[in-house]
Formats: sequence, C-alpha cells, structure tokens
Amino acid sequence: MRWRRLRTLLVREGRATLRDPFTITILVAVPLVALLAFGFVLSTEVKGLPLAVLDASDTPASRRLIADLAAQGTFVPRRVVTRAALERALVGGAVSAALVVPPDFDRARARGADRPQVQLVYDGAEAVLAGNAEGYLQALVEAAGATLARPGAPRAGDGVTVAERALFNPTLDGKPFMVAGTFGFVLSFLTILITAVSIVNERLGGTFEQLQVTPATSVEILLGKVLPMGAIFTLDVVLMVVVAGVVLGVWPQGSVLLFVGVSAYYVSISLAAGLLISATSETANEAVQKTVLVSVPLVQLSGFIFPIRSMPIPFQWATTLFPATHYIAVTRGIYLRAEGLTTLWPELLALLGFGVVLIGLALRTMGRRP
Amino acid sequence: MSRFRQNVLAVAYREARVMLHDRAFLMALLVQPVIMLGLYGGVISNQPANVPWAVIDRSQTALSRRLVEDVQSTGYFLPPRRVAGYAEARALLRRQSLLAVLIVPGSFRRDAERGHPRVQLLLDGSDPLAAARVGGYVAQVAAAFAVRREPPAAPPDGPPGRAGAIDVRQRFWFNPTLRDRDFFLATIAGMLLTNISLSLTGASLVGEREMGTYEFVLSLPTSALEIVLGKLLPAVAVAYGLLLVALVGSGLCYGFWPAGSWLALFAVTLPFVLASLSVGVLVSTFARTSAQAVFLSTFFILPSFVLSGVGLPYQLMPHGVRELGGLFPLRWYQIASRRIIERGAGFGQVVVPTLMLGLFFAVMLALVRWRMKPRLG
Repeated sequence: MRWRRLRTLLVREGRATLRDPFTITILVAVPLVALLAFGFVLSTEVKGLPLAVLDASDTPASRRLIADLAAQGTFVPRRVVTRAALERALVGGAVSAALVVPPDFDRARARGADRPQVQLVYDGAEAVLAGNAEGYLQALVEAAGATLARPGAPRAGDGVTVAERALFNPTLDGKPFMVAGTFGFVLSFLTILITAVSIVNERLGGTFEQLQVTPATSVEILLGKVLPMGAIFTLDVVLMVVVAGVVLGVWPQGSVLLFVGVSAYYVSISLAAGLLISATSETANEAVQKTVLVSVPLVQLSGFIFPIRSMPIPFQWATTLFPATHYIAVTRGIYLRAEGLTTLWPELLALLGFGVVLIGLALRTMGRRP
Repeated sequence: MSRFRQNVLAVAYREARVMLHDRAFLMALLVQPVIMLGLYGGVISNQPANVPWAVIDRSQTALSRRLVEDVQSTGYFLPPRRVAGYAEARALLRRQSLLAVLIVPGSFRRDAERGHPRVQLLLDGSDPLAAARVGGYVAQVAAAFAVRREPPAAPPDGPPGRAGAIDVRQRFWFNPTLRDRDFFLATIAGMLLTNISLSLTGASLVGEREMGTYEFVLSLPTSALEIVLGKLLPAVAVAYGLLLVALVGSGLCYGFWPAGSWLALFAVTLPFVLASLSVGVLVSTFARTSAQAVFLSTFFILPSFVLSGVGLPYQLMPHGVRELGGLFPLRWYQIASRRIIERGAGFGQVVVPTLMLGLFFAVMLALVRWRMKPRLG
C-alpha cells in the first residue's frame, strides 16, 4: 500500500462526490427529513381525542360524570343521542372511543345496592390508539365516578394504587426513542444506496475498470472509496446530532465521542454492504432495487419501530443477523440511557464481527477483475 | 376521439409488453406482497409481549405474592426475576434486561388493612410505547386487585372484578382482542400500492429517457396526455391485481376478510392509484437518472408510511405533523381502508377520502402537464 496512490484515490473520490449537487442535496436533506419525520410520529400521550357520549340516563349525576371527564382535556366529549348515531360515529372514524351511560345509572347509584354501570366502547380498528387510550379513559371514568360514590357504598375490592416512575425519560416522550433509531435507518439505507449506485455507475461508465488496471491494489481502491465516503457520512452523523439537539431538543445522554466513533465504524460496515450490492448488480436500477429489498428488514425487523420482543422467537433470532439491529441497540443505549462500554460490549462485539466479514468480502470483490 | 382512444391503447399495449419483460420488476411484484403479508401478519406487533420484569418484594406476604401472580397472569410478562434492591434494578433497566420493576413496600400488608395499599412501578422510559402500555396493564391489574380475599363479582363480559365506585365495562369493537395484525393487514394494500406505483412510473419513465426510448415515444404523433394515460392504464391494472392479492392473501392466510363493501374498496382504490402513479410521473420530470428517481421516490414513500398512520396512529401526532400527513394520498386511503375493511363501512362513509384522493390526482395532473409541456412543445 502506497500513501501517494491512496491519496490520489481519496482526492478523486472526494471530488467526484462533492461535484454532484444532487448527491450533496441528498446527503444533507435525507437525514434532516428523516429526523423530522420520525421524530414527531411516536406519541403515547392521549390528548384531545374525540369521545362519543351516549347519556341515556341524563340525570344530574351522569351529567356531572361527563363534565368531570371533559374537564381533564384528554378526551373531548361529543354527545350522541341514539345507539345508531354512536355506531355511525365509530364506523366513520369521527370518534375513537365512546362512553355509554345506561338509563338506570342514577337509580342504581341512589339505591346503593350495587355499583352503577357504564360501558366504554373503543374503536379496535385503531389497535394502537385504542390500546393507549384504554388505560387513560378507564382511570378517568373511575376517578370521576369516585366523586359520585355514596359514602359506605359497597365496593368489590379495594384496589392497589400504583405509583409509576419512568426512568431515563420521565414523560415518556417519543422523540428520543425515534431520533436514536433514525441514525440506524439513515446510516444503513443512505450509505448502502449511495455507494451501490456510485460504483455501479462507475462500472457502467468504465471508470471502475480504469481504476482496476492502475497499479492501485484492491485494498487501496477499497480505502479510496470507503474513507472519503466514511468521512462524509461521519459529518452527516455530527449534523444529525446537532439538528436533533437544536430542533428537537434531544441530545445524547451518554458520551458523544463514543457515539460518533461507533457510528463512523458502522458507516464503514454499511459502505462495505453497499460495495457488495454493487458487485452483484448489472445496472444502477438493479442495485437500487436490491437496496430497497435489504431495507425492508431494516425498518421492520431491526427494532427501529416495532419491538423485537413482541416477535415470534425464530424472528427474534433472525433480527440478530442484521448489523442494524445491533447498531440501533447501541445508539439507543448511548442516546437514551447513557450506557457505556461496560454494558454495550456484546453489541459492539457483534458489530465488530459483521465489520470483519463484510469488509473482507468487499475486499475480495474489489480485487476480482472482470 | 377514437383516435385519442387508439393512441392511448397503443401506448398502453407497449407499456404492458415492456412490463412483462422486466424480470426485476416482476420479482418485486411477486416478493413484496409475500414479505408484507408475512411480516405484518405474523411477525410485527406493537403490543408488548415477553416483557422482562422483576419484583422487589419487601413485604414477602401472601398478599404481595398474589398481586405478583395477578400481574403475571395477564400473559404479557415473562416470569418475574428476583432482584435484591434499587441499584440492581436500575442497572438491569439500563441494560434493557428489564422493562419494568414492581416494588412492593414492606408496609404493604399494613397499608392494605388501613385501606391505602400502594406499590411502585419503575419503567424503562427509553422505550416509551412499551413503557406506557406495560404501565397501563399493571395499573389495571392493581386497580382490580381484591385486597380482601372475598372474590369480587366478576362481570361475565368485562375484565375480571373491577374495584371502584363505578363498574366500568369495556369493549373493543371491530377487533375485540385488539390484535395488531388486523390493524396492519387493513393497510398493507395501501403500502404495496404506494411502493409499486412510484417505481412503476417514476423509475420506468426515467429509465426510458436514459435508454433513449423516451425520445422515440415523443416522436410519435401522440399528445402528452395520451402518453400519460397510456402509461397509467396497465399500471392501474397491476395495482388492482395487487389489491386482490393483498385482500385474498390476508383472507386465506389469516382469515381476515374485509368486513365492508368490496365494491366501495375498489372504488376508492382508483383515485388512490392514479394519485400515486401521477406522483411517480411528476418525480420522473424532475429526475435525470433512475437513481435520482429512486431517491426522490424515497423522499415521498418514507414520509407517506410514517405520517399516514399505517403503523402508528396519526391521531396522537402533534398538530402540524398530523395535518402534514394529509398531504399524502396514503393517509386518505388508509382512513378509507380501515373504515371499509375493519369497520364494515360502505361507500357512503368513504366519500370524503375518495374526494380528497380525486383532488390530489387533479392537482398532480396539472403539475405534470405544466412540467412536461416545455419538453414536448
């Protein structure tokens, strides 16, 4: 390996990348769009959700129950007068949940013999929303109902109060979770795509063959590709950290240096994957289609959005075969829980293994002369 | 007029032949529905499962053990781990070996006798969705926990024995067990069609320009509108084929058939497909290479999936972001699909989404005409 030859290659690659305004735009815009798009979408907080209220009792007690409910702001009651109207509202998606107060609500309450009954109906079609709203609504109705209870009325049990405390993210804000995952998404998808397309285009243009017939060794050609790209993407990482911090207010809790270091290493793994895809593709189109195919598990099976723990066991094993799964685990660890090397080493070791294998394979394809 | 129709059909015929020759595209057409049906039907779920948790039981009484058993019996949790104290619990939470830690204070029994039993629940907030759900489950179990041994009067259709002054019975309509599978399956047609539509028109038009065949089409005595319509026609046919595959596939594999009108679903699909295809055409007028076309398409597909509410509820997104999602056809299509497929709606209940999709298509068509004119003039 000669430094002078390598330097020539580095300068060449850097110029080739920076010369193309489209690539530059993509390199800056995709991370930012992804951060902003993903950053805001995960929310567990139920606020201002329309709630249909069918008050068949229509007594001071039931009206007070509903007024108490409305006062919280979590749900916005909308009165309906018939069961049919309630069904229409649910089917049409105008409301996501409904409270039904039966006609004998107040009588049962006054009698005090048994507890007055109300019914809550959720739109199960919006499974996630219903799951989130369920706890809130039930708690609200019960709290509102408690103020109506006659002292000494019989109770079925006493219940236990749970004092909840969420560590690392007390308000259960969705932004940090998504921001940390977005690094994994952008660094995998974008790096693979840009490398694969750039090399396939060089192949088509014949410049890659020119490179291969120069005295440069395959290690030099590989480094000549990977180092400038890696540097550019590492700059991207820094840009994302700053934008996530300034715009979304999400800064890494752990060591920034460790984070950028691991990210830079992960970029080189992705670049190697891009090289492999380019080696097996005839046209840029094909490379792109393969990248998209690789990206499907990236989004769905890497734990980026959907929890790995909820998958069937064989798929849980399968997720460990993607480098992105480990990288996302590391970014979340550093970003959200201030983890360090002492707890992250198994994931880092896995990444190291992937790197050795992928870079080794990429090196072999570089050396192969058509 | 007949000349117009002939030209459109001729372009459509040519387009269909080209499609049938594209092996990579045919593969994508075949593989994508299978992957989507498999992943969304059987693998992915937002619902917490196999939740690792621990108990710090300082009370060590029959009562506290019964509470732990009750939580365990919800079926969402792995067997609880015993940990010694806060420090260990915190360390395990940090490593994500645990998602929740239930702490029963030493005074639990005495508190229960006095009527104010309390426990503490530590959650790993770094995974907010799971934490919120798990917290909800534990709170529900705890609220229903009968401190005195007398069995609570369990209502036959509600959750078992609830406490409190009001007897709250809840039900989930359309999806009684709140399965995430139904939630996803109802929208996979929309996701598939977005993906395929954009690659159908966007990349293929640019590809033609790269190969030089586009010039050839331009030199024909056809107008821009005829070319566009001729290109859209076979694409629409492919889209309807995919819709059928998605519907019948979910039905045969998971027994999940549309609850509402198939006809209404087919009707909403037309403006949606046209809208998505025209986005592809618009992309092709901006991109110079097929790689650029894919990048631009990704710019459209990514926010479509994220902001439309196919995987995460758009109703909980902050204002601004929520409205932004309305600019993507997938938002309106997923609203309509959920109404028809999950809630059994007919055409009457999806008029608004259909009109919005139609409007979107009209705007796109105008933009495409404006972008294409100078080149064809």
